Amino acid sequence: MRKTVIATLLLGSISLLGAGDFDAQAKKDLKALKEYMEKKFASRKDAGTYFPYTPKEELDKNYKWGLKGEDFLLGSYAFNKNGKEQYDEVNEMPPYEDNVDAGKELYENTKFKNGKSFKDCFPDPAIAGEYPKFVKGKGVVTLTVAINECLVSNKEKPWNMEKGKLADLEAYFASVSKEKGKKVHIVIDSKEAAEAYEHGKKIYYTQRGYLKLSCANCHIQGAGKRVRNEYLSPLYGQVAHFPVYRLAWEDLGTLERRIKGCEKNQGETTHKLDSKWMRDLIYFLTYMSNGLHVAGPDIRK
Amino acid sequence: MKKLLIAALLAGTAATFAQAADDLVKEGEKIFNTKKLGNCFACHDANGKKINGPGSLGPKLQGLALWPEKALYDKVYDPYTTNPVSAMPPFGKNGVLSDKQIKAVVAYLKTIK
Ligand code: HEC
Ligand code: HEC
Repeated sequence: MRKTVIATLLLGSISLLGAGDFDAQAKKDLKALKEYMEKKFASRKDAGTYFPYTPKEELDKNYKWGLKGEDFLLGSYAFNKNGKEQYDEVNEMPPYEDNVDAGKELYENTKFKNGKSFKDCFPDPAIAGEYPKFVKGKGVVTLTVAINECLVSNKEKPWNMEKGKLADLEAYFASVSKEKGKKVHIVIDSKEAAEAYEHGKKIYYTQRGYLKLSCANCHIQGAGKRVRNEYLSPLYGQVAHFPVYRLAWEDLGTLERRIKGCEKNQGETTHKLDSKWMRDLIYFLTYMSNGLHVAGPDIRK
Repeated sequence: MKKLLIAALLAGTAATFAQAADDLVKEGEKIFNTKKLGNCFACHDANGKKINGPGSLGPKLQGLALWPEKALYDKVYDPYTTNPVSAMPPFGKNGVLSDKQIKAVVAYLKTIK
């Protein structure tokens, strides 16, 4: 009897992984994450359970409650009222507008030596929500990696993956995607893709660096709390707005650049920006914004 | 005369002891508030102390004067011994802080009411 139960259970889980269901686990993870964050930020009344160490007065005065779905696109400004005021002020004249223009120029007028251009690699610029993609034989391809692949395959030199032209071009892609109302649309449609996702997830939950902190410590349990004066943004909806103009950088930067900063916060030696580690991590991260509108570029402290 | 001398000597050592203990507390305070050292203020406020922008990931520390030194030492050395799911880094076990530095931090923690 027991054996049959186990057998059916096994069968059950196998059929779960049947054709077309490779994203079943990821869907479940995303749903659970969204529910957790919406509960966490639902009301002042339950805040004591989720924010045991945050001063009560701060919970009373500086937090916005009742957050849902797309609200999370704002990162920590979704709940931090003071931060949101400053954000609104800076946004009156968004500092990334020049970057978007520069990116448009690069997209429309860069001619490679062989006569081709970015339009040959990316006929439609409204693609910010489509990346990363899992490509058989290549693994996870982030937008950053795709842009450099385009350059290299046309015998051009690859660009710096943190800032500069590459970030500008991504800003243009993001801004067109946003204008057209595109959503983050990450696809997991093979066993290998599901494995890459699981690898990224494992990285996210693993304690690393000499401080033994995981990304989840700060952006899941820690979301909404502060590391010194910095409010921690929730994983849900966290990366739909890249590239980001950071006041701390006085510059526009890619998601890879931002993650490198967090690795340093953890006391971790950093990974290469096009390593499998980084690409799989970004695959997982971006899936956790799936279905939300592309919101980039944006500004952050 | 002899008595006086002893008294003076005793007073002297008491003073040095007090001085040494004071220095230890100061060193601990510095470790607590320095990013490259303990960086404790990233997560903790401390009752009765002036901390510059303390975080809220960990509890506001209070009543630690009443904790046994060993309990404080263990907490900083490896918080998982008392809380296996702690979000606090194990400063001793990871070698971020030396035995001497943790003792200094403990001396400072003992001054938190
Ligand atoms: C010690 C705490 C800590 C850890 C651990 C940590 N981060 Fe962060 N992270 C921060 C802080 C502080 C910020 C800036 C405030 C914010 O927006 O959350 C930030 C910002 C970010 C942002 C930008 C959010 C935005 O709205 O622009 C991303 C993405 C991010 N972290 C990803 C990660 C990833 C991936 C990891 C693990 C490799 C990680 N973080 C680990 C503290 C941490
Ligand atoms: C990344 C965040 C973080 C850092 C950095 C950190 N702590 Fe903690 N600390 C916590 C959390 C979370 C708790 C509560 C859970 C627990 O008790 O383990 C805690 C608990 C404590 C407690 C027990 C308090 C009580 O009332 O039970 C003490 C004492 C303490 N920390 C001291 C320190 C000292 C000293 C340092 C620096 C050397 C430090 N912490 C650095 C997060 C942190």
